[in-house]
Amino acid sequence: MTKNKMTETEFEQLLAITLKPGATAERDDQAGANRVLKRLAGPLPRQQMAWWRLPTVLLDWEFAPAWPRVAVLATCAALGFAIGLIGLDQQVDTADAALAFVSRADFGGVVLDGDPTQGVR
Amino acid sequence: MADSDDANDGARADEALMARVARGDEAAFRQLSRRHAPAMVGLARRVLGNAADAEDVVQEAMLRVWTHAPRWQPLAAFRTWLTRVVVNLCLDRKRRKPWVDLNAAGEIIDPTPGVPEIAEKNEREQALTAAIGELPDRQRTAILLTYSEGMSNAEVAEVLDTSVSAVETLLIRGKKSLRAKLGAMIDGDEVR
Repeated sequence: MTKNKMTETEFEQLLAITLKPGATAERDDQAGANRVLKRLAGPLPRQQMAWWRLPTVLLDWEFAPAWPRVAVLATCAALGFAIGLIGLDQQVDTADAALAFVSRADFGGVVLDGDPTQGVR
Repeated sequence: MADSDDANDGARADEALMARVARGDEAAFRQLSRRHAPAMVGLARRVLGNAADAEDVVQEAMLRVWTHAPRWQPLAAFRTWLTRVVVNLCLDRKRRKPWVDLNAAGEIIDPTPGVPEIAEKNEREQALTAAIGELPDRQRTAILLTYSEGMSNAEVAEVLDTSVSAVETLLIRGKKSLRAKLGAMIDGDEVR
């Protein structure tokens, strides 16, 4: 048995062996990590929004209407214009005489007259 | 080669997960936590010398990942960034709390029954671990990141927010202190 000074290489090896995580340490770390994950399973706090992301958030809003909606709007407008030109709406008005009478009656005078029965026999 | 490919794949997967976390995806956050929590708990435990504190630190670090995710930019690998957060939290905690001797904590004792060589080896490793615990914070962290996490000097420099030459100096000084602390045990020990 001889007494030797530990060389640099041997010291490096000792450091590596001592500090390299062993199987037991890895099991402990996994158990600790599981406890941390369990604690993180609850509701998370609100995230901090970066100010340079605000324009992106605003641009994400769809202010422009989608093309199908534009097509439906244009069709409705064209249909209304055609009905007006042909005069279908007039036929509907004349078909309902009662409605036509009501529309011609001076309802404003009846409603606003303080005593509508005065002078009536 | 295969290791570096794996590391690149891991970094890409982390980046993809972080992109989802930045959009508020909790499932991606939990997946990211599962990937990194065990290694970070190990690192924090070695830096702090205390398992309970290490778990608190990792929980806080992961919550910071969640809250800061929208502001995160992939300038460095996610793992390096997370390691930096964990190390900074550990060093903050150590500044607030006095150091507890690892021997007193009694975590390193190997229960394997005693063949003399094993006992001697354990004794030497225990002495070295205790000596590492007495090093200044940055020297100890540099040594742990290098030997325990297998990081390169450049990666350690990134984590400690310093230059590579400063890391080399920390390592040289740290190892010199360790040799001085272990003194008789290392120099006078029998080497086979």
